[in-house]
Formats: sequence, structure tokens, C-alpha cells
Amino acid sequence: MMNKAKALVCIIIPVLLAYLLNTKFGDAPPLLKFLNPFAGFWQNAENATVKREKKIVLKGSRQNIEIVFDNRMIPHIFAQNDFDVYFAQGYVTAMHRLLQMDFQTRYAAGRLSEVVGRKAIELDRYQRRMGMVYGAKKSLEGMMADAKSKEMILAYTAGINAYIHSLPEKKLPLEYKLLDFTPEDWTPVKCALLLKQMSAILAMGSDEFYMTNIRKRFGADVVRDLFPDYPFREDPIIPVGTKWNFDPLPVPEAPDSANEVFAGNFRTAEKEEGIGSNNWALSGSKTASGFPILANDPHLDLSLPSIWYQIQLHAPGLNAYGVSLPGAPGIIIGFNQRIAWGVTNVAADVLDFYQVKFKDSTHTSYWYDNKWKSTTRVIDSIKVRDGATEFDTVFYTHHGPVVYLQKPKGFSKSDNIPVGNALRWIAHEKSNELKTFYLLNRGKNYNDYRRALTYYTAPAQNFIFASADNDIAITANGKFPLKWKDQGKFILDGSDPKNDWQGWIPANQNPTVKNPFRGFVSSANQSSTDQTYPYYINWEFSPYERAKRINDRLTAMTKATADSIRLMQTDSYSIHAQNILPAILKLVDPPHLNATQKEGLNVVRRWNKYYDARSIAASIFDFWSKRLQFDIWDDEFNIKDMPMKYPSRDRTVQLILAEPDSKWIDNVNTPVRETLADLVNESFKFACDSLERKYGPIGEKWQWGNVKHTTIPHLAKIPGFGSKFLMTGGGKMTINALSESNGPSWRMVVELGAHPKGHGVFPGGQSGNPGSKFYDNMIDTWAKGELYDLYFMKSPDDPSAKIISKLKISKK
Amino acid sequence: MVFIVILLAAFFLQMVLPWWVIIVISFAACGLVGKTGRIAFWSPFLAIFLLWTGMALYKSMPNQHILAERVAGMFGLGQWWLVLIVSSFIGGLVAAISGYCGYRFRKAVLYKETAD
Repeated sequence: MMNKAKALVCIIIPVLLAYLLNTKFGDAPPLLKFLNPFAGFWQNAENATVKREKKIVLKGSRQNIEIVFDNRMIPHIFAQNDFDVYFAQGYVTAMHRLLQMDFQTRYAAGRLSEVVGRKAIELDRYQRRMGMVYGAKKSLEGMMADAKSKEMILAYTAGINAYIHSLPEKKLPLEYKLLDFTPEDWTPVKCALLLKQMSAILAMGSDEFYMTNIRKRFGADVVRDLFPDYPFREDPIIPVGTKWNFDPLPVPEAPDSANEVFAGNFRTAEKEEGIGSNNWALSGSKTASGFPILANDPHLDLSLPSIWYQIQLHAPGLNAYGVSLPGAPGIIIGFNQRIAWGVTNVAADVLDFYQVKFKDSTHTSYWYDNKWKSTTRVIDSIKVRDGATEFDTVFYTHHGPVVYLQKPKGFSKSDNIPVGNALRWIAHEKSNELKTFYLLNRGKNYNDYRRALTYYTAPAQNFIFASADNDIAITANGKFPLKWKDQGKFILDGSDPKNDWQGWIPANQNPTVKNPFRGFVSSANQSSTDQTYPYYINWEFSPYERAKRINDRLTAMTKATADSIRLMQTDSYSIHAQNILPAILKLVDPPHLNATQKEGLNVVRRWNKYYDARSIAASIFDFWSKRLQFDIWDDEFNIKDMPMKYPSRDRTVQLILAEPDSKWIDNVNTPVRETLADLVNESFKFACDSLERKYGPIGEKWQWGNVKHTTIPHLAKIPGFGSKFLMTGGGKMTINALSESNGPSWRMVVELGAHPKGHGVFPGGQSGNPGSKFYDNMIDTWAKGELYDLYFMKSPDDPSAKIISKLKISKK
Repeated sequence: MVFIVILLAAFFLQMVLPWWVIIVISFAACGLVGKTGRIAFWSPFLAIFLLWTGMALYKSMPNQHILAERVAGMFGLGQWWLVLIVSSFIGGLVAAISGYCGYRFRKAVLYKETAD
């Protein structure tokens, strides 16, 4: 008996060991499955010497495809038909970025719980309740209805799957091994989800809840005063005075209830500054070559693997170079032989919440147009790793999904959503953005550009354009709802049909300008137009400082070269400092400062107003101006259980410069009446003291690059997989809008002409594999503000490019 | 002898089978031909420790240890070679315990036969 037990123990121990070390517990990877060198992470260690030539046979392609990789691992695809070019794009993108594509689309679709278990369940519910899948399915309908975009998406999907099916388990991207799951087949709806996620990033912000609270507390007059519909200082995208050469549609009538006050103890994500971008194009009259130069740098939350994937696509009728989004076919920002194009975000108000009055607690009908109307009930199932599938019920009104009927606890995103409100969001519309890029990639001239834009819905973008014909143009483009003025500035009453979106601004009436007199076009997310534009797009856009600096510099520029434009992309001059520093420096009272504060004051007095990496003054000013804004507004606008937002930076500047005796200056929580000088001194001391507390005595540690502390984290925030610390200048309100981990995700400069020349860089690399030298090889160049010359190849054997590897795909 | 058998078998079988085949191999080899408890522990340990170290270096050297550095960062280990030692050590230890268990298993079964 004793021996039987012993023998049994001798078997149990090894079996148990195998089980324990092969299983994922909590966040820890399955230990030996991950660490063993035969199938674990060591297999992802890429040979630093790249194999020169490789031939593969894939059933899916139609003809032979040749792909050459340059010395930055950028693929140049040479195909003989449209299908093959997108098939190959899918294949190489998956080869380099499979995990990223999978992760982002799972995130978008609310399917992370399938991979990481219950801890993601609220996030998954949120994504679904916001209608991400609902929107993606509608979008897919739009894409599949068009023969060209349908072919694109099917070919791209087939290419991705050809790669997935060729992938042995030991070669799975590292993160699959860490999280212990395997990729599933790609489907067309995932392309749509990826594009919806871009809408979520760029066009999901909304502050009607704050505004409703502010109106409730202070009244409509204060809203008009502190939250005006047009800024004090502006430099709009479409130059002031541009004539609108169309007959506008009548604007719908506002309902009588428009000023009704709704109660609300909720808030939504405020549009974050920094998620913005710059682009500009100069006409040949301002360049050394006599041909236009176009520049673009989209600012996003930076991550490794990089947000963008560089690629050249070559097929009959197509030869384009630029960046693509892993998960969507085509090139989003780039150039071809004749034209170049780029995008920045338009802060259009395309997301509204409608308060819904339900008949009873079954939520089966709601009050609309003086009668009861039925809701649609949708039951969603969410698979959970190591757990039971969750079922979640969502009610849809004709506006869209009622996101929450009850707030879940301990999930910060849900605090932001008004309970019992239906969401009307542009991303729920049927759309076909891919067609826009299909046409732009093949575009030859201005007319092609204008035609391409008509297909675009969301997220709305300022599409900039330049051509070898010496045309430049910019269009604030997207599908904009036809609204009465300020519709959606506050929460809307869902029972009144006058509050519905009642049509669209015709695509050809979107704000646009071609070859303006000043010789350049530009955008930096500021107001699209001056106040003469006949339609309402939004009451508030991004602050104007970046745009002002861009326009100032371009106005002064003559004989521009790619290099002068490159230097401009990393310009860190602060217009905000230029605007307020003289006024507030005057108010500082030196006798009442301690030694550090006095030294700080000297530094700021001598400052050239550039947010340079080594600037100490920039750190002090940044803390100081933010604290001053806080001192002015926080006493009135930070009230428990009534979330509000501060008036804009623009309004603050106006207050400081033009209304120094305003009642808002006083801190209502103290018995004395504060003056602007009191606040300026308090905030200045506060800035110096905070820096001293955190960085020690005034000196090197106070340098802006150190205080800002830029790093680029891994997509899933895995420690060790992000970038090192990057000592860089710039800041959110300067052209080089680089903050802690948000900033220029791609910098591109294109010189048009008989032979276009492209220059570009993004913070990261082509490969998504942390075990590849191409994972982060471009970061230092990017941090230094330099650009690479891009190889715009004419054929696979083009000698102008440095080619390190070739891949031939043939059909068996 | 046991050392060579385990080393070769583990090398070839891991090409096609999951890592835990080293447990089966160590158990079987030491269960069949393990002379003493000491040998049954140390032979599999050394075989797997060396095999895994060799294989890991074979992958990691041409990579200039880029990946091992990153994984070291993830585990908070600091140096790439610490990840190597930890991997090989745990692998070796598991093989050693399995080998020893295999040996004890034979002992238990044989003892039972003679006692009957």
C-alpha cells in the first residue's frame, strides 16, 4: 500500500509541474511555455542579419507579386492588379503587426475579456454599449456596396489570413505567448472596427454635460460670456474673408425647448488637447523649386508598435507611398507621382446625447413627438476567458443606443456617461471611408481630390492637398449634420423631433479653399472658418496658438525648401507665452520672493519663449500659467457633485488682458477680494515651489525635457517593451506638440514636382516585434527632429533605393 | 549515459512537441536506466540546463540579445543573461525533479514486486 502511494506521488509531481508551468495564472504568463527556448519567447528573437531573398507560394494571389524591403524594413509592393496589391499589403502588415491588429480590433469590438478574463468586462460592455460593433457593421455595409472598396477589403483580408495560416505556433508574436492565446482568422468587419476605433479616438469627446451643468448653475448669460461660440483670438483654417460660392440649405429651426435646463450629475471625456495635428502646404510661389511642398504631422497617443505602418503600393494605375493603419487597406497619408495629401482632425460636434423619457421600467417604449414609440432591444453576449459568457441588454431608440440605464461601479469611463440618455454619433452611420483613400492614392489632380472627399464620413478631417500642377487646397471634410446653431452644446430633449439631426451639410459645401491669395493653406485643429460660414459645425475648436504660429511662419517664408519645413515641424515657440507673459511678468512682486523664486523670475524674464528641451523657463512658465488658470476658475467651476469645465484658455487670456478687474478673479472661498496680481504671484510661487519640491534646487533637473519626460509606452503597457526616456522639447500648444507620450505620430514633408521627393519619420519602427531591431530603429531620428528620405521606387530594381530583402509571392 | 539520452531525446522531440516533453523524457530515462537517486536528479538537470542554454543562445546571439534585454526589463531582472539563467535553471530543475520521480517510481514499483 505504502509503495503504491509512493509510486502515485512520483507520477503526480511531474504531471502537476507540467500543468503549473504550462498554465497562465492571473497576469503572469505560463512560465515555461513562455521561457523555453524551443517554442517560447526566445523564438521571437529576430536575426539581426536579414535574409536577402525569399520565395513563397500562396494560393490567394492572382498573379506574381514582388515585395522589396528597404533598409528600414519598409515594404515596396509591386503587383500586377488591384486585388494583389491589397492582398500583399494585408500579408506584409500581418507579418509585422499581427498582434497590434488583433489587439486593437478586439479592443474596439469589446472582446478583450475573451483574452484577459473578467477584468476587462466593463470595458467590453462600454465599447459595445457605445455601439462600436453596431457602427462597424453599418460601415461594412457601405464598404461592401462599392465594388472597388469591396475588392480592397476582401483582398486585404485574404492576405492577412494567408499569413496567419502560414504561421507556426512557435513563431506567434510574443504577446500571444505572454497572454497565452492564438490569433483567429481576420474578417472584413475588423477593418471597419479599426476605422471606428479611429472615430472613437478622434470624435468621441463631448462636453455638453459640463455645459448643461454650467448653464444650470450660472445661467445663460454667463455661458455666453465665458463659453462664447467663437474665440477671442482666432486664425481660422479657411482664411478670413473667403467667399462661399454656394447657396446654403435652410438651417433647421431650433425648438422652443432649446434653453430648457436638464439636471445632470455626470460628465463625459473632455476632448483632450494634444490629440490634434498640423498640416500645411505652400504653393510654388513660396518655394525654392517653384513647386508646392506639403507637410503633415498627426498627433496621437504614441505607442510601440507604432500607430502607422509605412508602405509603397505599386500596381497598374497606382503608385503611392505613405502611411497606412495596420488593419485597413490603402494609404491614409502620403503622396504619389502627381499629388500629396494629409489630414488633421476637425473637432466637429458629431456626438450628441438625448435625454430619453421611458414609459416604464421595461424600457420598451419612449416618448417622442407626442406619442409612445418602441425601443429595439439588443442582447449582446460577451465571452469571458475562464468564465461564463455574459449577456448584456441594450435598448436602442431611433437616436441610437441608450448607453447606460444604471452606472456600473468602479469603472471610470462609465462615470462619464449620462444615465438614461441615447447616443447619436456619426460613427453609427453607414459609410465608406476606404473609397476616399482608394481614390486619393490614385489621384492625379485637384478634381480627383475633390471627388475622393465626397465619399468620406468620419472622423472628420482637414484634408490638405498639393499637386504637381501647382494647386494647393484644404477642406474641412466629413459628413456634418445640418444643425441649428448650438444644437448639442447642451444635452438635448429626446422627445422633440426638432432636436433630431435633420439632414446633412452637402459635401460640396464643406468649408474649402483652393489656391488662396496668401500662397499657403494650413490647419491645426482650430476653427474651420470665420463667422460667415452659413452652417454650424461646433461652438468650440482647439485653441488657436499652433495655427497662429504656423501661419505667422508661413506668411514670412519665401524660397522654402524641405529643410525649412522640417525645421518648422519641430518649432516649439509658444504663442501663449507671447500673449500673456508681458502682462503677468509685470505683476510679479520681486521683494516678496525667496531666492529660488527670484532666480526663477530672472530665468523667465530672459526666456526666448521656446519650449526647448533644455529650457528651464519653459518648465516654470508651464506650471505657472496652468496654476494661474486654476486660481482664476477653480473656486467657481469645481464644485462637488456638479462636474463642470473651466472656460477655455482663449477666454482666460482675454480675461487677463482685457478684464483684469473681472469678478471671476476673486477667490470666492476667501473673505478678502483677490486681485489679478495676487493670483499671478501666488501661481508663480506655487510653480517654483512645486518644481523645487520635485526636482530639487533650480538647475539642470528643471529643464523642460526632463520635467515633461517623454517616453513611448507599449500598446498594452507591458513594462520593458516601451521606449527609453527621450529628452525632447515641444509642448501641446506649440507646433511640435509633443507631450509626455502624445505627439507627432508621423512627420512627413513632400516636395512635389516632376519627381516628387518624400521625407518622413515616425517614432518607432516597421516591426511590431520587440525582438526586432526594426521595432524602434527610427525613434532617435524622430526625437532629433530629423527625417529620412523616402524611397519612392519606380520598379523593384530601382537603384535609388537601398534594398535589404526581397519576397516573391507566386500563385501555384 | 542518461545525460546523453535525455539531451538528444529532448533536443529532437522539442522540435515537434511542447516543452513538457522534457518531463516525460526525464521521467522515462531515469525510470528505466537511472542508477542512483543522485544521478537521476543531476543528469536531467544538466542535460536540460545545457540544452536550453545552448538553444537560447543560438537564437539570442544573432539577435544581439535585443529581445532578451526587453524580457529582462519586463520581469525586472535588469540583465539579459539573468533571463537565460532563470529559464535554463527552472527547465533543468523541472527535469531533475521528474528524473528523480522516475527513479523513485521504479524503486517503489520494484520494491512492491519483491515484497509480494
